Amino acid sequence: MTRRRLLAAVPPVVVAATGARAALGGDGSYEATHMHGHHGIVGHAAMVGGSAPAPGGPHDLDGLLEPPPAQPHRPGRLREYHLSAIDRTIEIAPGVFFPGWTYNGTIPGPVIRATQDDLLRVTFTNGGSHPHTIHFHGIHPANMDGVFEIVDPGATFTYEFPARPYGMQLYHCHATPLKKHIHKGLYGAFIIDPPEPRKPARELVMVLNGYDTDGDGENNFYTVNGLTFYYAKYPIRVRRSETLRIYLANLTEFDLINSFHLHGDFFRYYPTGSSDQFEYTDTVMLCQGQRGIIEIDFANTGRFMFHAHQSEFTDLGWMGFFDVVE
Amino acid sequence: MAEAAAERRGGERWRLLALVPVAALVAAVTLFSTVGDSLTGLVGESPPPRDEFNIRRVVLHPGEIRIRVTNPQREDLTIATVTVDDAIVGYHLDGPRTLGRLRSSTIVIPYDWVEGEPLAVGVTSSTGIQTTHAIPAAVATPGVTGARVLGLALIGLLVGVLPIALGLLWLPSLRRARPEWLAAFMALTGGLLSFLAVEALSEALDLQAGLPGGFGGPGLVLLGVAASYVGITVLSRRLRGAGRAAGRAAEGPLRGLALATLIAVGIGLHNFGEGLAIGTSFALGELALGSFLIVGFMVHNVTEGLGIATPIADQRRDVGVARLALLAVVAGFPAVLGAWLGGFVTSDVLAVIFFAVAAGAALEVVVEVGRFVARRAPGGLTSPWSLGGFFAGVAIMYVTGILA
Repeated sequence: MTRRRLLAAVPPVVVAATGARAALGGDGSYEATHMHGHHGIVGHAAMVGGSAPAPGGPHDLDGLLEPPPAQPHRPGRLREYHLSAIDRTIEIAPGVFFPGWTYNGTIPGPVIRATQDDLLRVTFTNGGSHPHTIHFHGIHPANMDGVFEIVDPGATFTYEFPARPYGMQLYHCHATPLKKHIHKGLYGAFIIDPPEPRKPARELVMVLNGYDTDGDGENNFYTVNGLTFYYAKYPIRVRRSETLRIYLANLTEFDLINSFHLHGDFFRYYPTGSSDQFEYTDTVMLCQGQRGIIEIDFANTGRFMFHAHQSEFTDLGWMGFFDVVE
Repeated sequence: MAEAAAERRGGERWRLLALVPVAALVAAVTLFSTVGDSLTGLVGESPPPRDEFNIRRVVLHPGEIRIRVTNPQREDLTIATVTVDDAIVGYHLDGPRTLGRLRSSTIVIPYDWVEGEPLAVGVTSSTGIQTTHAIPAAVATPGVTGARVLGLALIGLLVGVLPIALGLLWLPSLRRARPEWLAAFMALTGGLLSFLAVEALSEALDLQAGLPGGFGGPGLVLLGVAASYVGITVLSRRLRGAGRAAGRAAEGPLRGLALATLIAVGIGLHNFGEGLAIGTSFALGELALGSFLIVGFMVHNVTEGLGIATPIADQRRDVGVARLALLAVVAGFPAVLGAWLGGFVTSDVLAVIFFAVAAGAALEVVVEVGRFVARRAPGGLTSPWSLGGFFAGVAIMYVTGILA
């Protein structure tokens, strides 16, 4: 191996190591990612520190990206989840620490999944410093709506209702001030599978969000699944031979809309995922709280970008790559 | 003898006793710094730091932006993300990433900026606080070249030396003027110097307000004003001493060539500030403003030549052309030095000090001129000639100042 080749092989390793430290919320993790800025690089690679993107990465967002598997339809089956509100500071961009309010320590919170007609039981403990709730989208009794049943710090509340209708739903805190409680990070994806299983596919979850780190009512960063440029640094490896299904939700505060745009291909978009109706497109626009299901059958292999088709959001962190292999 | 010695010993004891408050203060400070936190805790919790950077300078080179940032606060401040026009960009640092109080670092960004268009840079701290700095129109920051050194020198000469030399050409006419008129012109000099003093003071305070808190506050301006006032006072004593040696009136106000020299020095210090303003505006890419300033300052400064000529007209002895040329250089050449300094080294702290020095010098010369007018003018300071001259001086500066 020549010296030149050896040097070429180094950057991804460095990036992976620093990314792992970022996951631990360790200090100084930005050093390597930004100190390697090369002169003359002004393309998209410069945004992530000038290092060559490498598929894989530290896998610290896998829990948010990859949902638990769908279960066959069995009405009345109990599905239990435990959610805790936790105040936690998260490194949302290299070296930038955001004092977040989280469900189970991550922004967005964990993916909740049930099949239609399952009995969903979510035990919620408020370990934070402010009153919170969980408000689920879907069909449920009024007293399970997370609006009037405020859960004080230290208290517990159990939400119990049959999961319906099928589709891509979401959940978020509904304590006031609403804007503050959502933008601080209290939201997550909630998938309800149809009685008739969807056709097999590689499944991913993408929650779109933003962070206003200086309190001026405007976002300083935009991300998918909580960390800026994460999938630009660590492209998501997918197969051309396999359908890719993305459960997409927009929980961006302060801005009216967010969007998803795929390069080099088209996809089927099922609004809210609650019917067979779809649109064949490469760009969808979502208001806050809007969500849907995307199904992609890649025509080509290679590296394809996906991002918000609002250039500002792209430039401020909401951008990534699919690394499509055979 | 013995009494005196005892008194001296007693004096030494008193000197020792004078140290007691100092020692007590040291003890109190030590005690407070050990338990101080719990004491301030009784009052309430301190708010978190603002975490805003002080963006000192943005330098644009082809394909590159360099941002000089300083930490103005007591707590450490860490550079995390950098944006240009609301887009996150890659960068590297020339200096530390975590800045202690008043420490600086330079952020170097490879960036293909667009000539003539607005540009906004943002520096975000590790706590997510973004400090932005807007540039109205992006222009490459010039480097040090022979042509620029020459160009700035020529501008300095145009603004400083030339108009003052032109103003000195009034000397023959002034010599034929009646004493009342001469007094009026001296008062006019006092008026225009008062105007310059106020202008320089306001400039110094404005610039000081933009500095990080650690750089002295308004006290820095006071220091500059006082130091230059005292300096010019010493200079006026020297000039008076030289007059005495020449065998003229030992007492009384400074007059004739000596007063003209003092006025030239005061005006020279002010013109240094004017040169600084012109050089800086060129350095920051505000070229149009620079050209406009030049015309304004030229008109403004012709009257300064008149101010220097008036006391010379008052004395009987003739003054050679070389002497007059020297006065024009003393009053005008600092504009060249200022233009160089402003054009190549932009330092807010230096600018504050220079403007403060200019204000102090102008104030002192106003006092000297006032003494002269009080003694020499028919009717003294409150005669219509003196008052009219003073207000005419202020008015002329105000009107020509609108041009600059």
